[in-house]
Amino acid sequence: MTVSTHPDLDESRLVEALKLGEQAAFTEAVSTYTAGMLAVARYYVDPGNAEEIVQDCWVTVIDAIRRFEGRSGLKTWLHRIVANRCKNLLRTSGREITTDFSERLEPELDSRFKASGRWATPPKLRFDESADALLENGALSDCLDKHLGHLPESQRSALILYEAHQRKSDEVCNILDVSASNLRVMLHRARQKIFLMVETFQETGEC
Amino acid sequence: MLMCRELAGIASDYIDGELSTGRRLSVQMHLLMCRHCRAFIGNLRASAELMRGHSSARVEQSVIDRINHRITEALSHGTEDPDSDR
Repeated sequence: MTVSTHPDLDESRLVEALKLGEQAAFTEAVSTYTAGMLAVARYYVDPGNAEEIVQDCWVTVIDAIRRFEGRSGLKTWLHRIVANRCKNLLRTSGREITTDFSERLEPELDSRFKASGRWATPPKLRFDESADALLENGALSDCLDKHLGHLPESQRSALILYEAHQRKSDEVCNILDVSASNLRVMLHRARQKIFLMVETFQETGEC
Repeated sequence: MLMCRELAGIASDYIDGELSTGRRLSVQMHLLMCRHCRAFIGNLRASAELMRGHSSARVEQSVIDRINHRITEALSHGTEDPDSDR
C-alpha cells in the first residue's frame, strides 16, 4: 500500500500548530471547519446572527485550544463550542427552538394514502438508478440545490451535520440537543421532500 | 400487518438499518408483496443518496475572509475580543 493521508495524524499536527498560534494553521482550520460550525449555529439562531457567533467562537478558540485534550475530535469540539454559545444566547433572550416532530410523514405524502393505509397514489416512476447518474442531469442538480436551500434550517442543519459526522447520530443529537428519535424524524422528512421533488421533476421536467 | 402508510413512516429507519429485527422482518415481508412500497423504498433511498452528495455545506469565501481577518487581528493584539461587549 502506498502512503496515504492519515486524518488523525493530520488533526493532531493541526491542533499542535493551533496551540502555537500559527496563523497558517488557523487559516487551514477555518476553511475546513467553518461550514459545519455555521450549520450548528443556523440550527439555533437566524443566519445573520449565525455568522457573528461563528466568528466569535473562532476568536475564543485561539485561547481555548490550549485546553483541548483530544478526548473528542477537533470537529466535534468546535461544534460543541458553537452549540454552547448559541444555547447561552437563547437562554438569555428567552427564545426557544420549536420544531414539529409529531408527524413522520410530509402532508403531501400523507395525502397519497387511503384511509385503509394503502397507497391511493403510489410512486409513479422508479428513479432508484444511481444518484450519480441522476445528477448528470444538470437541471435536476440545480433543482436539488434549490430545494435543499428551502428546507427549514433545523432540517438542513441536521442533514449537514449528520453527513459531516459520518452519520453518527449520537454526536449530532448531542450538539443539536435533540433526541435520537427526533433527529430521525427530521432526516426522514427532509428525504421525503427530496423524494417528492425528484418525482415531480421526472414527471413534469419542472422544478 | 404493516400497512403501506405505516411503512412509509419508518422507511428511513429501514434504509439506515435502525429498526429492530422484528420490525425489519415485517417491513421485508411487506416489501415482498407490495411493489408500490418497493418503488417507494428504492426512490427514498435514491433521495437520501442525492442529498448526501449535495448536503455538504458550502461557505462563501467572503465569510471565510471575515473570520480570518478577525483571527489575524486577535493574534496580533492578543486574544481580547474587541466585540465581546456586544
